[in-house]
Amino acid sequence: MKIASRTLLTLSFAVLCCWAPLSLAQTPAATPAAVPKAVTDADVAGAPVPSADARSKGDPDGSLTGTASDIAVTDAKKGATIGDLVNQVGQNKIAINFVWTLVAGFLVMFMQAGFAIVETGLCRAKNANHTMMMNFMVYGVGMLAYWLIGFAIQMGGVGAVANLGGTPPLNAEHVITLFGKPFGIFGQSGLFLVHRGTYDVSVMVLFLFQMVFMDTTTTIVTGSACERWKYAAFIISTFLLGAFTYPLFANWAWGGGWLANLGTNFGLGKGYCDFAGSGVVHSVGGITALAVAMMLGPRIGKYERTGKSNAILAHDIVIVLTGCFILAFGWFGFNPGSTLGASGNGSLRIGSIAVNTMLAGMSGSFAAMLYMWIRYNKPDASMSGNGLLAGLVAITAPSGFVNPVASVIIGLIAGVLVCISVEFVDRVMKIDDPVGAISVHGANGLWGVISIGLFADGKSNYGGSWNGVAGSVTGLFYGDSGGQLIAQLLGVATLVGFVFTLSFVFNLFVDWMVGQRVSAKSELEGLDLPEMGALGYPEFELKAEM
Amino acid sequence: MMILVGILVTLSGFVISVLSLALSSNGTRLAVVVLGIAVSLFGIMGILNRAYLKNAIWKKG
Repeated sequence: MKIASRTLLTLSFAVLCCWAPLSLAQTPAATPAAVPKAVTDADVAGAPVPSADARSKGDPDGSLTGTASDIAVTDAKKGATIGDLVNQVGQNKIAINFVWTLVAGFLVMFMQAGFAIVETGLCRAKNANHTMMMNFMVYGVGMLAYWLIGFAIQMGGVGAVANLGGTPPLNAEHVITLFGKPFGIFGQSGLFLVHRGTYDVSVMVLFLFQMVFMDTTTTIVTGSACERWKYAAFIISTFLLGAFTYPLFANWAWGGGWLANLGTNFGLGKGYCDFAGSGVVHSVGGITALAVAMMLGPRIGKYERTGKSNAILAHDIVIVLTGCFILAFGWFGFNPGSTLGASGNGSLRIGSIAVNTMLAGMSGSFAAMLYMWIRYNKPDASMSGNGLLAGLVAITAPSGFVNPVASVIIGLIAGVLVCISVEFVDRVMKIDDPVGAISVHGANGLWGVISIGLFADGKSNYGGSWNGVAGSVTGLFYGDSGGQLIAQLLGVATLVGFVFTLSFVFNLFVDWMVGQRVSAKSELEGLDLPEMGALGYPEFELKAEM
Repeated sequence: MMILVGILVTLSGFVISVLSLALSSNGTRLAVVVLGIAVSLFGIMGILNRAYLKNAIWKKG
């Protein structure tokens, strides 16, 4: 009893000791309010700076580096002024945003490596060099097309991008009038990055970031067309995609075009919203992949005369899953980078966007793995990888507008959808898609676009408006009347109806010009020698036929 | 010929969806946009793909 009371007393004392400072902290002593004092140029000029003597001794703890002496001064005689200070603050904000956007762009560029090894691993060893070379040169061919003309079409009329300091030279959008409203169709500034004053620091940052996005689109197509696509056809098709098809839809969605303005012109929510490109990047790639794969036809041996589909096995699942991880890593540039900044205009949401991205990838891979496990009694490795990518593709558009719970739901649906879609494309449509790109990027890109109209929670705030409409993007489940969903579905209709048609016609032209498909002899031998002149794995013993 | 028809039907789905913007009620707009998507999908899967499957290499053995 005595011990119990002593223990109780000690505990009470301990609680009091802990509580006392907390209580004091919560009730500070009343102090008289300080009278605000205006800062003058003299205060700024007189700000203490470390002496030259102190600096010459080095600065091991960093306390002397980055002080008032580092502020750029317009008039050395007057010293630093308030104007200098404010300019420095502005430049720091833009510098942060430049660095953020550039680093994010570098991450997206590295995704090319992920795509390359995912696609190469999923094809047969006899086509490894050909598949790698398509993924390697898609970077150069796409970039050339985009630099020459694509960027101007996409971003030539975007107007001010506030986070990057304004991009004022990108101010010429070709507009037509339809239903009494202006419809932005394509941009007209920025050819070769010098046209109409576009040799500009902000424009350069925007170009780099948008270029790597476009390149992601072009590399999606190579996955569906691999093991039978003529290399020359690939080059021309990729050029057309990077120069015209992608930039046109990207202009409508991101460059100030008519889809983005559905909110201002027709009262449909905040207009078509696609934060990081489920539609612009992934659906355009996936839908073009559908057009090309349909035109090419299946690989020899994929279908029997009865129509039964045969599995053509991947040659290296290790690099496939490694590639998926590289892609997931690069996605942290893709989605959070799409704020085009880390400072100002709601850009601090980058943490939320990054978390949404990883959560959707997680739930996508889980859903696909479980679906395959239940349906086929084994947790299929390549479909688990595709599930991860499907979740990431689907969250790309809504990542900036939804909460973590919605992200997990979007990823879960994507993981199941990719499995069902792969089966549908393979068994019902009888289209041979060796890597599942049509399902991963096409189907799930469309799902991502639609999901904004359902799950956007109205909590994001990127400078108080989106696409020129005040307020936050809000979906049907969070109180919107349906206008946002209609805007998203119009985006889907444009992708399925217009982008597919344009891609299809371009590739018919390529087929007429050089022919899309390699000869049966080359295909059976493997494309490495006939198309590229060298084997990917010269020491392997390759099978001539599957 | 089938390919040309497929292209036209697919594109007409897009045109139908855009025409929904001439309407004022959101309910009708939604229905017309969905109809447009369905028409485009029919053009792709029902006409174009079928045209290519007709001459598929695996059918020739």
